[in-house]
Amino acid sequence: MGLEEKVPEGILTTSLDSVINWGRANSTWPLLFGLACCAMEMIATGTARHDIARYGSELFRASPRQADLMIVSGRVSNKMAPVIKRIYDQMLAPKWVIAMGICASAGGPFNNYAIIQGVDKIIPVDVYVPGCPPRPESLLYAMDLLRAKQRSESVGEWRKVEEPLAVDEIMPLGA
Amino acid sequence: MPLDVAPVVRSYETQRTLNPPGIPALAPMPTGETDDTRRICEQFGEDIVAAGLHNGNQVVLVEPGQLKALATFLRDEPDLKYETLIDVTSVDRSRLPLDGEARFQTVYQFRSYSRNQHLTVIADCGTDPGDNGEIPHIDSLTGVYRGAEWPEREVYDLMGIRFDGHPDLRRILMPKNWPNHPLQKQAPLGGEEVPFTFTWDDPEFETLGSQILPAESTVPDLPPGMSRQNMVINMGPHHPSTHGVLRLVVEMDGERIVSIDPDLGFLHSGFEKTGENKRYKDFVYYTDRMDYLSAMSNNLGYCLTIEHMLGLEIPERAQVIRVIMAEMQRIASHLFWLATHVLDVSGTGMSLLMYATRERERILDLFEMACGARLTVSYIRIGGVWQDLPDAFVSELKDFLRVMPQKISEYEAMVTEAPLWQERLTGIGHISGDDALSMGLTGPMLRGSGIDWDLRRDRPYSGYEAYEFEVPTSDSGDCYGRFKIRLEEMRQSVRILEQAVDNLPSGLYKSNNRKVALPPRAELDVSMEALIHHFKLMTEGFHVAPGYFYHGIENSKGELGFFVYSDGSAKPYRLHVHGPSFNNLYAIDHISRGEMLSDVVTNIGSIDIVLGEVDR
Repeated sequence: MGLEEKVPEGILTTSLDSVINWGRANSTWPLLFGLACCAMEMIATGTARHDIARYGSELFRASPRQADLMIVSGRVSNKMAPVIKRIYDQMLAPKWVIAMGICASAGGPFNNYAIIQGVDKIIPVDVYVPGCPPRPESLLYAMDLLRAKQRSESVGEWRKVEEPLAVDEIMPLGA
Repeated sequence: MPLDVAPVVRSYETQRTLNPPGIPALAPMPTGETDDTRRICEQFGEDIVAAGLHNGNQVVLVEPGQLKALATFLRDEPDLKYETLIDVTSVDRSRLPLDGEARFQTVYQFRSYSRNQHLTVIADCGTDPGDNGEIPHIDSLTGVYRGAEWPEREVYDLMGIRFDGHPDLRRILMPKNWPNHPLQKQAPLGGEEVPFTFTWDDPEFETLGSQILPAESTVPDLPPGMSRQNMVINMGPHHPSTHGVLRLVVEMDGERIVSIDPDLGFLHSGFEKTGENKRYKDFVYYTDRMDYLSAMSNNLGYCLTIEHMLGLEIPERAQVIRVIMAEMQRIASHLFWLATHVLDVSGTGMSLLMYATRERERILDLFEMACGARLTVSYIRIGGVWQDLPDAFVSELKDFLRVMPQKISEYEAMVTEAPLWQERLTGIGHISGDDALSMGLTGPMLRGSGIDWDLRRDRPYSGYEAYEFEVPTSDSGDCYGRFKIRLEEMRQSVRILEQAVDNLPSGLYKSNNRKVALPPRAELDVSMEALIHHFKLMTEGFHVAPGYFYHGIENSKGELGFFVYSDGSAKPYRLHVHGPSFNNLYAIDHISRGEMLSDVVTNIGSIDIVLGEVDR
């Protein structure tokens, strides 16, 4: 039917969306970025027993430019919030966020002056993981959910999100 | 509007207490006398308001004008020799019946390592008129003990007490333009009300899932004392080798470091303020989240403080279980330190991370077996432990203890004699014994500089006096010495564990004082009295007699101290945590000067910080 009849044997056809999403979902590189207790479980997820490499996510990148996924692993203080926002902005699209643990999701036990009640107040979150801290298995399940989301996305959508800046926005005249 | 201005803070009370009359009350004056307090009274006479013992600690209340003279005397007098200022904190007594007494008090913890003495000094703060009410102030002790610098900045930041003569009195934890001093009693706890109704018309949900806070970055200031003539490099708060969210501003002249200004507070979570709004038993769960690599030790330190104030006897089995847990936690914490230290220094040493976390996972399995949690355990509770060890625990632990020593040797074989490892660590981050004392360093940082001190051996708690173990020290004062100490500490912990597990007595796993410790669940079905006790403890908690107490334990990182001021109610009036990482991190500037940028990474790893505890 259609194109497949015309091409020689051994060639498969697919949609651009599914092949790109297949790549994205199977090599989502997280940002090497820990905040608090949950970061310890994030590291545990990365080590031998839980082995996040099965998901193609073992490469924790320290530079936000090389990372696809930000795992907000811990409580976000008022002093840290601008930093997190800036790191998120520095990540290149497509990018995703997992709010790991109840503190990153909703403030958790720290309902006080110092802590922002949920990181979704400063950056958009794709998957929330409950737990204090969530076990490595929970984080792996969150990665599963994220992969399902990644697979259902359309490549074109991400292109719409980031509109290129005009030249004078990047380098103002007279600067 | 940048975000580091306080968001709208609603007055919000977690719960109202049903306090009996007579509460709140001021802490009573110390009574009796000891050799040290007598000596101090002889020297200062009228300037000592009161001196003696309170809750078993030596306490001296001094006139603020004589505080500095007293500190100098404590340090220099050969009969006293208080070499170290462990901790500085403060109490805002505005909610207590003051009768014209000063509102703010500063509290100092002095320690004599050579004489094995601890002394608490309390001074009232004078007040100066300021723009927004009166500003409390007191003399700074930075000229006497270098280590006073950061704790005094912390007190200034959180409590608003000005220290006269402090060389660098800036905010340390909160953003620089924060509007209040959060630990003052009139400052609200903050936070948000939890919506219990779920109607989409609720204005609470208008902003759900969208960006509501601008979170704009601001250009940071150049720290005082740094020169633009040199190169100023920013490290962190997002940096893979700062072990969390620490920001270091490094001033460099060519390849060499001129000075470092650490910027803290990126993980400040308001533990102390939260603690003042929780019942005593409810703060145990928060201690887990402070130094999240040694949750058991944090539980233990807090519980011991409160139990001492209550005068509670802990059953022998509970004591031994606590020692087992604390030592396992020490091994787990050191394993994680080793893994990350090697990873930081070598940059590629992933194999040791995998090996060390393999053994750490076994410890976490054992924790899980005992209490169901891996990291935030809350297993040690006031009065004992949460529940008895499961049957399989002891054999599993023995199995672990059998393999652990050879695993430590395996790690040693990988790095200890490796020439690259030695080159990166030997002579780096050197600190002399005198400097370590003056800066108030504790734990392996102190023992690495030749001071033979371990709270487990020298001021034993939880029955540590019954165990045979050695305290490793090193005279080299560098990163390599501290590395060897921590490896040896793991071996000694295994030794303690072997003794504990062989002599695990049977009996109660928590106190059967029903006014403090919950009755076992099975009893609730058959005993009305147990049900009443359970209800009373869960709704109101227990009351602690007015007074204050400081207690320190030997955590994996150093001395973890808790200072609790009780007004007689069911919540701590003031709860201060002395985190070892906080004082130890102060040394980073001193030990890194003249070294290279890559050595800063070695030094951070060697200090072994956990930011949750530094920032609290």
